[in-house]
Amino acid sequence: MYTLSTCPWCRKTKKFFAERNIPFTYVDYDLADEATQEKISQELDAAGATGFPFVKIGDEVIVGYRPERYLSALGK
Amino acid sequence: MSDEFVRAISTDEIAPGGMKTVEINGDEIVICNCGGTYYAVQRRCGHMNAPLDMGTLDGTYLTCAMHCVQFDVTTGEALSGPVPPYFGHETPPPMMGEYLQNIGMLMKHVRTESIRTYATKLEAGWVQIAL
Amino acid sequence: MNAESRKRALHYFFEKVVGPLGFKFTPDTELKDFLLEQEVILESKHGIPFCPCQPIRHDRERDMQIVCPCIPFHRKHFDAIRRCWCGLFVHKDVIDPDSLPQLPPKEVGLE
Repeated sequence: MYTLSTCPWCRKTKKFFAERNIPFTYVDYDLADEATQEKISQELDAAGATGFPFVKIGDEVIVGYRPERYLSALGK
Repeated sequence: MSDEFVRAISTDEIAPGGMKTVEINGDEIVICNCGGTYYAVQRRCGHMNAPLDMGTLDGTYLTCAMHCVQFDVTTGEALSGPVPPYFGHETPPPMMGEYLQNIGMLMKHVRTESIRTYATKLEAGWVQIAL
Repeated sequence: MNAESRKRALHYFFEKVVGPLGFKFTPDTELKDFLLEQEVILESKHGIPFCPCQPIRHDRERDMQIVCPCIPFHRKHFDAIRRCWCGLFVHKDVIDPDSLPQLPPKEVGLE
Protein backbone atom coordinates (compact mmCIF):
# COMPACT_ATOMS: atom_id res chain seq x y z
CA MET A 1 0.00 0.00 0.00
CA TYR A 2 1.01 3.59 -0.54
CA THR A 3 0.30 5.94 2.34
CA LEU A 4 1.23 9.30 3.88
CA SER A 5 2.72 9.72 7.34
CA THR A 6 0.37 12.71 7.83
CA CYS A 7 -2.87 10.92 6.91
CA PRO A 8 -5.17 9.53 9.65
CA TRP A 9 -7.03 7.28 7.19
CA CYS A 10 -3.73 5.69 6.20
CA ARG A 11 -3.07 4.96 9.85
CA LYS A 12 -6.49 3.35 10.15
CA THR A 13 -5.75 1.28 7.07
CA LYS A 14 -2.45 -0.02 8.44
CA LYS A 15 -4.18 -0.76 11.75
CA PHE A 16 -6.96 -2.65 9.98
CA PHE A 17 -4.52 -5.13 8.46
CA ALA A 18 -2.23 -5.30 11.50
CA GLU A 19 -5.13 -6.07 13.85
CA ARG A 20 -6.17 -8.99 11.64
CA ASN A 21 -2.59 -10.24 11.39
CA ILE A 22 -2.62 -9.77 7.64
CA PRO A 23 0.93 -9.09 6.45
CA PHE A 24 1.37 -6.03 4.26
CA THR A 25 4.08 -3.79 2.92
CA TYR A 26 3.74 -0.04 2.70
CA VAL A 27 5.59 3.01 1.45
CA ASP A 28 4.95 6.41 3.02
CA TYR A 29 5.02 8.55 -0.11
CA ASP A 30 6.02 11.72 1.74
CA LEU A 31 9.02 10.07 3.36
CA ALA A 32 10.26 8.38 0.20
CA ASP A 33 13.05 9.59 -2.06
CA GLU A 34 12.34 11.56 -5.23
CA ALA A 35 12.61 8.56 -7.57
CA THR A 36 10.19 6.48 -5.51
CA GLN A 37 7.78 9.41 -5.25
CA GLU A 38 7.80 9.77 -9.04
CA LYS A 39 7.05 6.06 -9.51
CA ILE A 40 4.18 6.13 -7.02
CA SER A 41 2.86 9.35 -8.55
CA GLN A 42 2.69 7.67 -11.95
CA GLU A 43 1.00 4.62 -10.52
CA LEU A 44 -1.61 6.82 -8.86
CA ASP A 45 -2.24 8.62 -12.15
CA ALA A 46 -2.56 5.35 -14.05
CA ALA A 47 -5.20 4.17 -11.58
CA GLY A 48 -6.99 7.53 -11.60
CA ALA A 49 -6.30 7.99 -7.90
CA THR A 50 -5.93 11.49 -6.45
CA GLY A 51 -5.34 10.64 -2.80
CA PHE A 52 -4.20 8.16 -0.19
CA PRO A 53 -4.51 5.44 1.05
CA PHE A 54 -3.84 3.39 -2.09
CA VAL A 55 -4.08 -0.34 -1.36
CA LYS A 56 -3.30 -3.19 -3.73
CA ILE A 57 -4.67 -6.64 -2.89
CA GLY A 58 -3.67 -9.00 -5.67
CA ASP A 59 -4.79 -7.27 -8.85
CA GLU A 60 -7.35 -5.12 -7.12
CA VAL A 61 -6.66 -1.47 -6.35
CA ILE A 62 -8.65 0.20 -3.58
CA VAL A 63 -8.38 3.95 -3.04
CA GLY A 64 -9.52 5.52 0.22
CA TYR A 65 -10.14 3.89 3.60
CA ARG A 66 -12.54 1.04 2.65
CA PRO A 67 -12.65 -1.73 5.26
CA GLU A 68 -15.56 -3.58 3.57
CA ARG A 69 -13.67 -3.60 0.26
CA TYR A 70 -10.50 -4.91 1.93
CA LEU A 71 -12.44 -7.79 3.45
CA SER A 72 -14.13 -8.71 0.20
CA ALA A 73 -10.83 -8.48 -1.75
CA LEU A 74 -9.09 -10.67 0.83
CA GLY A 75 -11.93 -13.14 0.70
CA LYS A 76 -11.24 -13.86 -2.96
CA MET B 1 7.56 50.31 36.03
CA SER B 2 5.01 52.86 34.94
CA ASP B 3 3.53 52.83 31.47
CA GLU B 4 3.81 56.22 29.90
CA PHE B 5 0.93 56.55 27.46
CA VAL B 6 1.17 59.07 24.66
CA ARG B 7 -1.38 60.11 22.10
CA ALA B 8 -0.82 58.23 18.89
CA ILE B 9 -3.78 58.90 16.62
CA SER B 10 -7.34 60.14 16.75
CA THR B 11 -10.02 57.42 16.55
CA ASP B 12 -11.67 58.97 13.52
CA GLU B 13 -8.54 58.50 11.45
CA ILE B 14 -8.76 54.72 11.10
CA ALA B 15 -11.89 52.95 9.86
CA PRO B 16 -12.73 49.53 11.36
CA GLY B 17 -10.52 46.92 9.70
CA GLY B 18 -7.96 49.57 8.79
CA MET B 19 -4.39 50.31 9.78
CA LYS B 20 -2.26 53.41 9.95
CA THR B 21 1.38 54.04 10.76
CA VAL B 22 2.47 56.64 13.29
CA GLU B 23 6.00 57.60 14.17
CA ILE B 24 6.83 58.30 17.80
CA ASN B 25 10.36 58.99 19.01
CA GLY B 26 11.74 57.48 15.84
CA ASP B 27 9.75 54.25 16.16
CA GLU B 28 7.31 53.40 13.40
CA ILE B 29 4.21 51.86 14.91
CA VAL B 30 1.13 50.49 13.13
CA ILE B 31 -2.23 51.09 14.82
CA CYS B 32 -4.90 48.52 13.90
CA ASN B 33 -8.63 49.10 14.34
CA CYS B 34 -10.07 45.63 14.98
CA GLY B 35 -13.79 46.35 15.21
CA GLY B 36 -13.36 49.23 17.63
CA THR B 37 -10.56 47.66 19.68
CA TYR B 38 -7.17 49.12 18.90
CA TYR B 39 -3.91 47.23 18.78
CA ALA B 40 -0.45 48.59 18.11
CA VAL B 41 2.48 46.68 16.66
CA GLN B 42 5.89 47.50 15.26
CA ARG B 43 5.79 48.40 11.59
CA ARG B 44 8.62 46.11 10.51
CA CYS B 45 7.61 42.59 9.58
CA GLY B 46 9.35 40.02 11.77
CA HIS B 47 10.55 38.29 8.63
CA MET B 48 12.25 40.80 6.36
CA ASN B 49 11.13 44.14 7.76
CA ALA B 50 8.49 44.94 5.13
CA PRO B 51 5.93 47.60 6.19
CA LEU B 52 3.06 45.72 7.79
CA ASP B 53 0.54 48.54 7.25
CA MET B 54 0.74 47.68 3.54
CA GLY B 55 -0.50 44.20 4.26
CA THR B 56 -4.03 43.11 5.11
CA LEU B 57 -5.85 43.04 8.42
CA ASP B 58 -8.56 40.39 8.86
CA GLY B 59 -10.02 40.23 12.36
CA THR B 60 -6.91 40.33 14.53
CA TYR B 61 -4.73 38.66 11.90
CA LEU B 62 -2.28 40.76 9.94
CA THR B 63 -0.81 39.35 6.73
CA CYS B 64 2.38 40.93 5.40
CA ALA B 65 2.28 41.95 1.75
CA MET B 66 5.78 40.79 0.96
CA HIS B 67 5.81 37.05 1.71
CA CYS B 68 2.40 36.58 3.38
CA VAL B 69 3.74 36.00 6.89
CA GLN B 70 0.85 36.23 9.34
CA PHE B 71 0.81 37.80 12.82
CA ASP B 72 -1.69 37.91 15.64
CA VAL B 73 -1.81 41.63 16.47
CA THR B 74 -3.05 40.96 20.00
CA THR B 75 0.17 39.16 20.95
CA GLY B 76 2.59 39.95 18.14
CA GLU B 77 3.09 36.23 17.59
CA ALA B 78 4.34 35.18 14.17
CA LEU B 79 1.89 32.47 13.09
CA SER B 80 3.52 31.31 9.92
CA GLY B 81 6.71 31.60 7.93
CA PRO B 82 6.96 33.08 4.44
CA VAL B 83 5.30 31.30 1.52
CA PRO B 84 7.74 29.86 -1.01
CA PRO B 85 8.28 31.91 -4.15
CA TYR B 86 7.04 30.35 -7.37
CA PHE B 87 8.08 31.65 -10.71
CA GLY B 88 5.43 30.09 -12.91
CA HIS B 89 6.01 27.79 -15.84
CA GLU B 90 8.23 30.00 -17.93
CA THR B 91 11.91 29.38 -17.38
CA PRO B 92 13.42 32.69 -16.30
CA PRO B 93 16.44 33.85 -18.35
CA PRO B 94 19.56 32.10 -16.98
CA MET B 95 21.06 34.99 -15.01
CA MET B 96 17.73 36.00 -13.54
CA GLY B 97 17.02 32.39 -12.69
CA GLU B 98 20.30 32.06 -10.86
CA TYR B 99 19.76 35.39 -9.13
CA LEU B 100 16.33 34.32 -7.89
CA GLN B 101 17.65 30.97 -6.77
CA ASN B 102 20.40 32.72 -4.88
CA ILE B 103 17.92 35.07 -3.20
CA GLY B 104 15.76 32.07 -2.37
CA MET B 105 18.72 30.32 -0.85
CA LEU B 106 19.60 33.34 1.29
CA MET B 107 16.00 33.84 2.35
CA LYS B 108 15.77 30.28 3.60
CA HIS B 109 18.12 31.26 6.40
CA VAL B 110 16.07 34.25 7.53
CA ARG B 111 14.22 33.56 10.74
CA THR B 112 10.72 34.92 11.20
CA GLU B 113 10.44 36.65 14.57
CA SER B 114 7.32 37.62 16.46
CA ILE B 115 6.70 41.36 16.48
CA ARG B 116 6.67 43.86 19.29
CA THR B 117 3.28 45.05 20.49
CA TYR B 118 2.47 48.23 22.40
CA ALA B 119 -0.23 48.57 25.06
CA THR B 120 -3.08 50.79 23.91
CA LYS B 121 -5.84 52.70 25.61
CA LEU B 122 -8.65 54.89 24.38
CA GLU B 123 -9.22 58.29 25.83
CA ALA B 124 -11.58 60.94 24.55
CA GLY B 125 -11.41 59.97 20.90
CA TRP B 126 -7.66 59.31 20.93
CA VAL B 127 -5.76 56.07 20.72
CA GLN B 128 -2.93 56.22 23.21
CA ILE B 129 0.01 53.87 23.28
CA ALA B 130 2.57 53.04 25.92
CA LEU B 131 6.17 53.20 24.83
CA MET C 1 5.58 29.50 16.27
CA ASN C 2 2.94 28.02 18.44
CA ALA C 3 0.98 25.21 16.79
CA GLU C 4 -2.19 26.01 18.72
CA SER C 5 -2.30 29.67 17.64
CA ARG C 6 -1.61 28.66 14.05
CA LYS C 7 -4.45 26.11 14.16
CA ARG C 8 -6.80 28.79 15.45
CA ALA C 9 -5.78 31.15 12.67
CA LEU C 10 -6.25 28.46 10.00
CA HIS C 11 -9.66 27.67 11.45
CA TYR C 12 -10.61 31.36 11.26
CA PHE C 13 -9.57 31.75 7.63
CA PHE C 14 -10.83 28.38 6.37
CA GLU C 15 -14.27 28.80 7.90
CA LYS C 16 -14.82 31.93 5.82
CA VAL C 17 -13.87 30.14 2.62
CA VAL C 18 -15.76 26.87 2.98
CA GLY C 19 -19.01 28.37 4.29
CA PRO C 20 -20.13 29.90 0.98
CA LEU C 21 -19.22 26.61 -0.73
CA GLY C 22 -21.75 24.76 1.41
CA PHE C 23 -19.25 23.09 3.75
CA LYS C 24 -18.38 23.30 7.42
CA PHE C 25 -15.70 21.81 9.66
CA THR C 26 -16.35 18.17 10.50
CA PRO C 27 -18.20 17.70 13.81
CA ASP C 28 -15.56 15.04 14.61
CA THR C 29 -13.41 17.41 16.67
CA GLU C 30 -10.64 14.85 17.24
CA LEU C 31 -10.20 14.33 13.52
CA LYS C 32 -10.38 18.08 12.84
CA ASP C 33 -7.75 18.75 15.46
CA PHE C 34 -5.43 16.05 14.11
CA LEU C 35 -5.77 17.21 10.50
CA LEU C 36 -5.21 20.89 11.35
CA GLU C 37 -2.14 19.90 13.33
CA GLN C 38 -0.79 17.96 10.33
CA GLU C 39 -1.44 21.00 8.15
CA VAL C 40 0.55 23.20 10.53
CA ILE C 41 3.41 20.71 10.25
CA LEU C 42 3.15 20.65 6.46
CA GLU C 43 3.02 24.45 6.39
CA SER C 44 6.15 24.74 8.50
CA LYS C 45 7.89 22.27 6.17
CA HIS C 46 6.67 23.52 2.78
CA GLY C 47 5.42 27.03 3.54
CA ILE C 48 1.91 26.00 2.46
CA PRO C 49 -0.84 24.13 4.36
CA PHE C 50 -1.31 21.15 2.02
CA CYS C 51 -3.95 18.47 2.41
CA PRO C 52 -2.51 15.80 4.75
CA CYS C 53 -4.02 13.01 2.63
CA GLN C 54 -3.06 13.88 -0.94
CA PRO C 55 0.30 13.63 -2.73
CA ILE C 56 2.53 16.68 -3.12
CA ARG C 57 3.71 16.31 -6.71
CA HIS C 58 6.31 19.11 -6.72
CA ASP C 59 4.59 20.54 -9.77
CA ARG C 60 3.09 23.95 -9.14
CA GLU C 61 -0.08 23.45 -11.13
CA ARG C 62 -0.90 20.14 -9.50
CA ASP C 63 0.11 21.19 -5.99
CA MET C 64 -2.16 24.23 -6.12
CA GLN C 65 -5.06 21.80 -6.26
CA ILE C 66 -4.29 20.36 -2.84
CA VAL C 67 -3.77 23.58 -0.88
CA CYS C 68 -6.31 23.53 1.93
CA PRO C 69 -9.19 24.24 1.54
CA CYS C 70 -8.99 22.42 -1.80
CA ILE C 71 -12.77 22.14 -2.25
CA PRO C 72 -12.99 24.50 -5.28
CA PHE C 73 -10.64 22.23 -7.26
CA HIS C 74 -12.65 19.10 -6.46
CA ARG C 75 -16.13 20.55 -6.27
CA LYS C 76 -18.09 17.84 -8.09
CA HIS C 77 -16.23 15.02 -6.34
CA PHE C 78 -16.58 16.46 -2.85
CA ASP C 79 -20.21 17.46 -3.35
CA ALA C 80 -20.91 13.86 -4.44
CA ILE C 81 -19.29 12.31 -1.33
CA ARG C 82 -20.41 15.22 0.90
CA ARG C 83 -16.96 15.60 2.38
CA CYS C 84 -13.51 16.63 1.27
CA TRP C 85 -10.89 13.91 0.76
CA CYS C 86 -9.24 14.06 4.20
CA GLY C 87 -12.57 14.73 5.90
CA LEU C 88 -11.69 18.07 7.46
CA PHE C 89 -14.79 19.56 5.85
CA VAL C 90 -18.23 18.06 5.34
CA HIS C 91 -21.49 19.32 3.88
CA LYS C 92 -23.28 21.67 6.25
CA ASP C 93 -26.10 19.23 7.00
CA VAL C 94 -23.82 16.34 8.01
CA ILE C 95 -24.22 15.25 11.62
CA ASP C 96 -22.58 11.80 11.42
CA PRO C 97 -19.30 12.19 9.48
CA ASP C 98 -18.33 8.55 10.15
CA SER C 99 -21.11 7.51 7.82
CA LEU C 100 -19.45 9.18 4.83
CA PRO C 101 -17.08 6.72 3.06
CA GLN C 102 -13.91 7.99 1.43
CA LEU C 103 -14.83 7.32 -2.21
CA PRO C 104 -12.48 8.23 -5.07
CA PRO C 105 -13.89 10.13 -8.11
CA LYS C 106 -14.21 6.95 -10.22
CA GLU C 107 -16.65 5.43 -7.77
CA VAL C 108 -19.02 8.36 -7.91
CA GLY C 109 -19.13 8.43 -11.68
CA LEU C 110 -16.53 11.13 -12.20
CA GLU C 111 -13.49 11.15 -14.56
